[in-house]
Amino acid sequence: MIGRAIWRSLALAGMLTCALARSDSQSITFQASVDKNPVGLGDQIVLTFTLSNAGTGVKNLHMPDLSAFRIMAGPNQASSFQMINGAVSSSVTFTCVLQPKEVGKFTIGEASVEAGGKEYRSSSFTVEVVKGSTPARKESAGQENLDAQIGDNLFLKASVDKAHCIQGEQVNVTFKLYTRVSVLNYAVSKNPALSGFWSEDVEMPKNIALSTETLNGKQYRVGIIRRIALFATQSGSLEIGPMEAQTTIQVQQQRTADPFDAFFRDPFGRNVNCAVRSEPIKLKVDPLPEGAPGEFKGAVGQFAMSAGVDKRTARTNDPVSLKITISGTGNIKLLESPAVQVPPDFEQYTPKVTETINRGGDRITGSKTFELLFIPRYPGLKVIEPITFYYFDLGRREYVKLRSPQLELNVEQGAAPLAPAMGGGAREDVRILSQDIRFIKVAQPSFARVGERFHRSWWFILLLAIPVLGFAGAFVYARQRQADMLDEAGYRQRRAIRVARNGLKQAEYLLKEKSGAKGEPSSLQRTRFYAEVSRALWKYLGDKLGLPQSEFSVEHAVEALKDQHVESGLVHGLKVLLEHCDLARFAPTSHQMSAMQKTYDEARRLIVELERTLK
Amino acid sequence: MLLSAAAVRAQTPEQLFQQGNLMYQQGRLPEAREAYEGLLAAGYVAGDIYYNLGNTYYRTGDIGHAILNYERALRYIPGDEDLRHNLQLANLLITDRIEAAPRLFFWDYWEGLKNAFSVNGASWLFVLTFFLVFASLVVVVLARRYRSKRLALAVTALGIVACALSLVLLVAKVSDFTRTDEGIVTTPISTVKNSPDEKASDAFVLHTGVKVRVVDRVSEWLEIRLADGKVGWVEKKTVEMI
Repeated sequence: MIGRAIWRSLALAGMLTCALARSDSQSITFQASVDKNPVGLGDQIVLTFTLSNAGTGVKNLHMPDLSAFRIMAGPNQASSFQMINGAVSSSVTFTCVLQPKEVGKFTIGEASVEAGGKEYRSSSFTVEVVKGSTPARKESAGQENLDAQIGDNLFLKASVDKAHCIQGEQVNVTFKLYTRVSVLNYAVSKNPALSGFWSEDVEMPKNIALSTETLNGKQYRVGIIRRIALFATQSGSLEIGPMEAQTTIQVQQQRTADPFDAFFRDPFGRNVNCAVRSEPIKLKVDPLPEGAPGEFKGAVGQFAMSAGVDKRTARTNDPVSLKITISGTGNIKLLESPAVQVPPDFEQYTPKVTETINRGGDRITGSKTFELLFIPRYPGLKVIEPITFYYFDLGRREYVKLRSPQLELNVEQGAAPLAPAMGGGAREDVRILSQDIRFIKVAQPSFARVGERFHRSWWFILLLAIPVLGFAGAFVYARQRQADMLDEAGYRQRRAIRVARNGLKQAEYLLKEKSGAKGEPSSLQRTRFYAEVSRALWKYLGDKLGLPQSEFSVEHAVEALKDQHVESGLVHGLKVLLEHCDLARFAPTSHQMSAMQKTYDEARRLIVELERTLK
Repeated sequence: MLLSAAAVRAQTPEQLFQQGNLMYQQGRLPEAREAYEGLLAAGYVAGDIYYNLGNTYYRTGDIGHAILNYERALRYIPGDEDLRHNLQLANLLITDRIEAAPRLFFWDYWEGLKNAFSVNGASWLFVLTFFLVFASLVVVVLARRYRSKRLALAVTALGIVACALSLVLLVAKVSDFTRTDEGIVTTPISTVKNSPDEKASDAFVLHTGVKVRVVDRVSEWLEIRLADGKVGWVEKKTVEMI
C-alpha cells in the first residue's frame, strides 16, 4: 500500500516536473529550415527562419549569404500566437522563396536576429541542388490521411459500349466520375489522346445528373462528365488514352489528439484539390470486309443521297449548281464527294462542302452537302450521268450503292454568246484520253539481209548506166545526122534508090490498075505511066549523079554516067529507055500493055544495075 | 535457248515475224522479244522488226532498249508516223531532261528532208533525177526546133540541180545510216566519270534511254557527249550503239 502510494506520488511529481520542464522549454530559439532538401534545379524552395517564444520586439534580421540562389520572394515576416493549456507560445517566421542557380551543395550560413535586446543565431546547414525536379515530397501526415480517405472513394472510369468494332463504326466512350465524397467541382485537365480516330464530343447537359451505382459492394454516386463518339480511321489495336480531371472535394479532417486542433476544425470539412485519371482502354478494330467497290471511299453507317440541279433550264454562261446531299448516321465528317460525270463543255468549279452534325443523340447523325458549280458554255440538252455513292451498311454488313436519277439540263443560248478569240465557233480540240504507244506493225515487211542496200547493188549501177548509155547513143546519132545534113549531095545519092523505087511504085499502080478493066489503058493513063517512069529515072539520075534540075537532058546524063565508068551497054539501054518514054508519052504505039510492062521491067532492071555500079 | 534457236532455223522469216506479232498480242512479251531478236540474229533486217521489238521493250518497261530499237528502226523507216509517235512517248519517260542547244532553222529543214527519205528512197530519188537530166539532155541533142531545144536545156539545168541535191542527200543518208558513234544508255542508272578510270571523280549521272554520241574509245571506256554538250566517260557496257 505504502509502496503504491509512494509510486503514485512519484508519478505525480514526475508529471509536475514535466509540466515545469515544458514551461521551461518556452525558451527563445531561432531555427532555419527549408521545405525540401535536396532540391531540383528547376524547383523553388522555401527557406524559413523561425524565432520561437521571443514575444515582441523582433528586429534586425540579418540574412545569410544567399548568392548561390535567386531570391524569388521575401523575406516575409509572419507572427503566430498559441495558447495551449494556459501556456502561451508565440513564434515569428521569416520566409524566403529561393530558386537554385546551379547544381551542387550550398551552405546556407547563420542568420541573426535581435529580440528583446539579445541576438540569436541560427545554425548553418547545406542544401543540395540536383538536376531536374524532385518529386513533391509527401506533404505531411495529413496528406497521407487524405489519400487514405479518398482512396476508392473517388475515381474516374472510362468505358466503351463495344470493345470490338469495324473500321468506321461508331464507338461511344463514356467518362464517369465515381464518388463517395462530396465533389464541389471538377474540370477536365487533360483530354484523352485519340490517335487513329475521328472523334466527336457528344453534347452533354449543363448539369450533371447523378445516379447511384454499386461497385464492389460500395455505393457510389456516379456522374457522366464526358461522352465521346469515336470512329476508327484505321484497323488494328487502338488505344483510347487516359483522361485527367481536377476535382475539388470536401474532406472530413482526421481527429487529432490535440483538442485545441479539434476546436478549430471546420465543421464542413476541408476543401482539397484532387486529380483523378482514367485507365486507358484498348479497342480492337477490324478492317472493312473485302470486296469494296472501286468507288467506295470509306463511308460507313447508313446513308441516303439526294441530288438535284437548281434549275431545269439554264442559259449559257449562267452558273448552275448541282447539290448532292448525303445524310444519315455514321462517319459524316469523313464522307467524300461522289464522282460527277459532267458534260465536257461545262466549266466546273471546286465544290463547296457544308456539313451539319447532330451530336445530341446516342448516334452521330447529320448530313453533308456538296454544292458543285458549273457554267454551261454551249446550248443544248445536257445530261449529267447518274451519281453513284457507295457506303458500307453496318446493319446489313455489306456495301450498298446509292444511285441518283439521271439529271437533265436544258441549256439555251444566253444573251452574250461566248466569242472565242480565234473564231471557229464551237470547235474544240480533240481530247486525248490517254497517251500510249501505237500498235505493232503486223503487215509483212520486206526483209533485207544485213548490209543489203539498194545503193550498193548492181541494179543501182545499171540504172545509172542506162541514161548515160542512152545519151551517148543519142549523141552519136545526132552527130551523124548533122553530118548528113551538111553533105547534101551524098544525102541525095543515098536517098536516090528509095526515091526511084517510090516513083516506079506509082508507075506500077498505074500499070496494074488498067490491066484488069478493058485490057487496054486509056491514053491519059498511058501518058501518066510514062511520065512517072521518066520522072523516076530522071530523079534517080539527078540524085545519084548530083545533077542540078537545069541540066536534066539525055546528053548530060550520058556524059556523067561515062565519067562514072558505067559500062556502055548500060548507058545505051538507059538512053534508049529515056527516049522511048519521051516518045511513048506523046506518040501512042501498038501493044500498049505489053510495051508498058516491058518499059517498067526495063526501068527497074536499069536502076538496079546502076545502083550496083554507082555504089 | 537451244530450242528457240532451232525454232528460228526451222521457220521462214515471215513465220517468225508473225509468231512474234502473235505473242505480242497475247501479252507474252518475252516470247515476242525472242522471236524478233531471233529474226535479227538470223540476219534479217527491216524497220518493222525494230519497231515491234521497241514496242515489246516498252511494254516490259525497259525504256532504254525501247528507245534503242526505235532509233534503229528510224534508220530504216524514218518517215513512219507511228514510230515517231512511240519514240516521242518513250523519250518523255526518260528521267534526265537534256535540252539540245538550239540550232539554225536551216538545220531543222535539212533534218526534215532527211527524215522524209529512207536510204533506199534517197537512192531512188537520185536515180530518178539522174534519168531526168539525161532524158532532157537527149532531147536537147535530138530536138530539131530551137524552141524545144531551149525548153529541154532549162529542164536539164533544173535536173542537174535536183540531181546534185539528191546526191548530197543520198551521201548524207548513207553516212547517217552507217554511222557508229550514236548510242543509247541502257543501264538504269550510270555514273559518268571525268576520265576513263574507276577512281575518277563523278561528272554527272545518266539514266536509261538517253541518246549519246561516242567521241572516243579507250579500252573499256567510252567518251560520250550529250546533246547539250556535256562530256564524260562511261563504261562500255552502259551504252548500246544504235
